[in-house]
Amino acid sequence: MDRGINMQVNAVLNGRVATAFVMMLIFVTMSLMALGFPDKARLMPLMVGIPGSVLGLIQLINEIRHSAYETTDDAAEFSKAERSMFVWIFLYFFGILGFGFIYAAPILVFAFLFIGRKESLPVSLISAVATWAVLFGFFENGFEIPLFTGLLVQSIIA
Amino acid sequence: MDLSGIFGALLEIVGSPYHLFLLLIAVPIGMFFGAIPGLGGKLGIVLAIPFVFGMDATAGALFLIAMHAVVHTGGSVPSILFGVPGTGPDAATIVDGLPMTRKGEAGRALGAAFGASGFGGVIGGLFILAVLPLLRPVVLAFSPAEFFLLAIFGITFIAMLSGDSLVKGLMVGCLGLMMAFVTLDPQTGAQRYTFDLLFLWDGIDIITTVLGMFAIPEMIALGVAGGSMSQVDKEGARYGMAGVLQGLGDVFRHWWLSMRTSVIGAFIGMIPGLGGDAASWICYGHAVQSSKTPERFGKGAVEGVIAPETANNSKEGGSLLPTLFFAVPGSSGMAILLGAFVMLGVQPGPGLALNDMDIVWILIWGLMLANIVAVIMFVLAAPTLGYLSYVRGNLLIPFVLTLTFLGAYLSHRAWENMVLLVILGTLGYFLKKYGWPRPPFVIGLILGTIAEDSFHKAMALWGPGFLLRPGALIMLGLIVFSIGFYVWRTIKAKDGPGDQHAG
Repeated sequence: MDRGINMQVNAVLNGRVATAFVMMLIFVTMSLMALGFPDKARLMPLMVGIPGSVLGLIQLINEIRHSAYETTDDAAEFSKAERSMFVWIFLYFFGILGFGFIYAAPILVFAFLFIGRKESLPVSLISAVATWAVLFGFFENGFEIPLFTGLLVQSIIA
Repeated sequence: MDLSGIFGALLEIVGSPYHLFLLLIAVPIGMFFGAIPGLGGKLGIVLAIPFVFGMDATAGALFLIAMHAVVHTGGSVPSILFGVPGTGPDAATIVDGLPMTRKGEAGRALGAAFGASGFGGVIGGLFILAVLPLLRPVVLAFSPAEFFLLAIFGITFIAMLSGDSLVKGLMVGCLGLMMAFVTLDPQTGAQRYTFDLLFLWDGIDIITTVLGMFAIPEMIALGVAGGSMSQVDKEGARYGMAGVLQGLGDVFRHWWLSMRTSVIGAFIGMIPGLGGDAASWICYGHAVQSSKTPERFGKGAVEGVIAPETANNSKEGGSLLPTLFFAVPGSSGMAILLGAFVMLGVQPGPGLALNDMDIVWILIWGLMLANIVAVIMFVLAAPTLGYLSYVRGNLLIPFVLTLTFLGAYLSHRAWENMVLLVILGTLGYFLKKYGWPRPPFVIGLILGTIAEDSFHKAMALWGPGFLLRPGALIMLGLIVFSIGFYVWRTIKAKDGPGDQHAG
């Protein structure tokens, strides 16, 4: 009885099932949204979206069936290392979005190496300075490519 | 055929130290722009235009075409070593190039990429040189009906790229197609899935998509696994010159594949509007389809590096044809070159074929010679580049992430692309983790716009009867054959072990 419940919970919470569900959800949502477009505009989205939704349902059923018979699935677990990497990706994103490449990127490189990966201070500092040199010296000055200055910095300047 | 004109143009380049000098400096500059994500060949040409201003037309055009010709050769380096494509079309190289690096075969992969690029560039140029008089009417005969079916033909390769699960491959391909519809409808101008966001009106950026689908997931995976990009000890790896030469040799060992993909690439490049990005994916699909062991692809098959790299460089030769003779650029890079040619006094259009074929021959030879020079230069540098795959992941990740965000931003100078990058990166990571193939997404996105646009045009011109046009019937035959061949091979592969077991 307990094993049966565990199997059902495993099937629902499994990452594979969740991925298949999200994929199907994207197709269904986009197909429903397409119904609101003018006739010509919705033709191709529906031609692709409806078969995509059906395939999504088939895949979801496959994954639930597959997962229900799995007792352990290490690959399905969301590990601490993964969480850490996602945190860094989002820190990069928000850092650059807020403060731009020139300010945020060297600091993020330093933080990732020194705090995140426990690299030595000289290595972390040299890497940060090198990043700044490439972005500021090479892109902004060498090629005169204006880099994104960051939404917060822009609002402060404005 | 004007043989004296053709070979006179070659002599004009190799007999002039000035022209050779221009060629030698244009090649590393072009490769550099190709190798840095976010820069790309188009920016390289734009930045080089002030330097060629004032040069005579031959020298200026030679410099620019040499730069442009080797952009994708440079783009293969970050694709293979870090899973970050230098330019959009280099994304197909990641699929097998990166696994080769992980297996400790970075040198071999780089050697194969450089060799294939050179091979493709030369064969593409020779192909155009040989068939130029014959192919002009063929290219002109392509109507929206053939365009639509050519795009569908490209998408059928999704099945060949789908690995173990056809359903997953088709779904990811369809999702790529759906993402291609995130733009203003080409017929009505109505917003589709744009949520009133201006940056989505032009559609989802290919570079951002490729970076999101490949670079971000690879960096997360590297951070989770630890170590370096290569998962093999230095002692057991082939990143030295021996590995590079082995990779070069692979191009000639698979000479028939190299030849086929070069010609396919050149042909795709010749068709204005299809877009050069499709060439590398279609040729990759062809390599998988025609292989006796398709299960090796995606796990580090050297043919998976050779096919897209030959196509990447040969298509540039092909795209010269519509650019020069019809003033219709065969690729986005060629569109910028077109402007530069006009500035130099070369007036593209049908008149060029009548009055100024000399410059056409010079451009074709320049393209081929640049590819040869690039191979020599970068094969020598490849062992050093291959060593980069042993840099610790900890040190690599922050730089690659910076370049990835930079690439996404610079592709359209839009910060919103960074939002897309993170969304697609997250999706890409879970697709990677749970065994969903990612390449079909990119193919769907690239070909979706072409397919939709051509479909509406064909329907407006001929109605559903467009499928009965002779060219369309040929394309339909190819699609049916390719799907049938795949199904037959899958059934045969499933029967095989059973037979052996029975035996």
